[in-house]
Amino acid sequence: MKEICLEFYKIRRRKIWVTIVALLGIQCLWALWAFRDMNAKELSQGYMQCLYHFSVFNTILMPMIAAITASRICDLEHKGQTFKLLLTTMPAGILFDAKFICASLYMAAAGAAQTLFIIILGKTAGFTEPFPPGYLVYYLITTVTVTITILALQQVVSILFSNQMIPLIVGITGSFAGLFSLFLPPGIQKGILWSYYGVLTPVKMNWDFQTKIADLQYIPVDWSGFLLLLGLLAAIYLTGRWCFTRKER
Amino acid sequence: MTNIITTNGLSKQYGSAMGVKDLDLAVPEGVIYGFLGPNGAGKSTTMKMILGLAKPTCGTITVFDKQVNSKNRLAILKETGSLIESPSYYAHLTGEENLKIISTLKELPDHEADRVLKLVRLENQKNKKVGQYSLGMKQRLGLAAALLGNPKLLVLDEPTNGLDPAGIQEIRELICSLPHSFGMTVMVSSHLLSEIDQMADHIGVISRGELVFQDRLSVLHDRSDSCIAIRTLNNEAARNVLSSQGISCQEEEGFLLIPRLPDRKLAEYFLQFLKNEIGVVRIEERKKTLEDIFLELTGMAVNL
Repeated sequence: MKEICLEFYKIRRRKIWVTIVALLGIQCLWALWAFRDMNAKELSQGYMQCLYHFSVFNTILMPMIAAITASRICDLEHKGQTFKLLLTTMPAGILFDAKFICASLYMAAAGAAQTLFIIILGKTAGFTEPFPPGYLVYYLITTVTVTITILALQQVVSILFSNQMIPLIVGITGSFAGLFSLFLPPGIQKGILWSYYGVLTPVKMNWDFQTKIADLQYIPVDWSGFLLLLGLLAAIYLTGRWCFTRKER
Repeated sequence: MTNIITTNGLSKQYGSAMGVKDLDLAVPEGVIYGFLGPNGAGKSTTMKMILGLAKPTCGTITVFDKQVNSKNRLAILKETGSLIESPSYYAHLTGEENLKIISTLKELPDHEADRVLKLVRLENQKNKKVGQYSLGMKQRLGLAAALLGNPKLLVLDEPTNGLDPAGIQEIRELICSLPHSFGMTVMVSSHLLSEIDQMADHIGVISRGELVFQDRLSVLHDRSDSCIAIRTLNNEAARNVLSSQGISCQEEEGFLLIPRLPDRKLAEYFLQFLKNEIGVVRIEERKKTLEDIFLELTGMAVNL
């Protein structure tokens, strides 16, 4: 706990939240623009519309948020050459854990803010679809889980390399890979970490080729995909932590 | 005198090159131990291994009579302060905030940061962001962080690097006062002989990863005994005169080198030279400087 508090203490005045709020703001403005003129049918599927589109927005923006946050939390140690001082007072693994928990709390807050925005949008825009608390909780859990898995990868790269261009390139590349993977078959999607916002979305779009009508519907939770994601998180986290603890200063 | 740090056969290999080879250090308690060597000799690597920041390829390290391993490393280091290479700091935080991070990790009371800030004379700058500090101030802050909790052992790697002469003197005076004022043992490295000469009681000289000398500094000084160099018009005859008086001498670059003798005795030999019609053209007193000894020990003299 002491180590986690110190991580927050270290990043004071760095205004890490500003980048997160700015990117979330862009996402919300994007959503407001997309839902600016909803017809009766769209209002009857309002929450589904939100959950579907937010999954796509997340594929583009959340990897960026994770990359920037991880980079900023790790970069201050590289810049100040503080590893050689800190690691004489605390184990490397604990430092890695503390940084991850600190950054994950930011990711959880971002996910919660998004969910809250969807609820407020639903109430103000007058969605006629019944309020779906279960799906919103599921959305929150999957969004945060996918984001912290990407965050784990970003933290590993940010903490191992002093050149912070490397993690930022990984973040941007992953973001685009995730977006393009949405057009690929589900089997391939599950092999790309950044596509899991789409893989785990609780809403599916049915496109009727004959009538040219797109319709949304809730789909059963993809537990196998979720478990695969948790496995990826554990593998990335433990491998990265091991590499960091083995690294000499 | 018990040793605070002992290493046995300590080695570190990087690829096929040996960074440190079979190092047997012995740092006695309560002294300033100067760890001297040219750049790249293995000083920082050795200190990092002592602090557990680098893993030895083989050999053992004993600190406070306990053999250091990955499990007890941090418990042992609780009694140790360190400053390795350049100072570590968070530029966006103030000096006081920087120290608070380390004192929290070491579970020290809040006023400890103020105490060490006073020691390094940074108390008036404690609310300034470290990014705005000069290099000397950053170095002093690094030293303050090392002094947190009044550790029994201080490991300082080139603490005066990059400082101006006034800053060097200030840091040197502070380091010299630590064993007397706080009972600390200080291991300080430098590639500058003059630095170590002014600070250390004991000295270890490392060259190309190997320890080439380790003892009290006074022992090294003893090696700098002076000799008399004489140049005559007939060195062969002069050598015979000296040999007949039981004085051994060696010839070097046209000079006869004899041990330092009392003036009266030396005058007698010169009279003997005159009687034997040996013209004396040069008489010099030669003294090996510590620098000469250092260069000899480290084998750098050949390169120069």
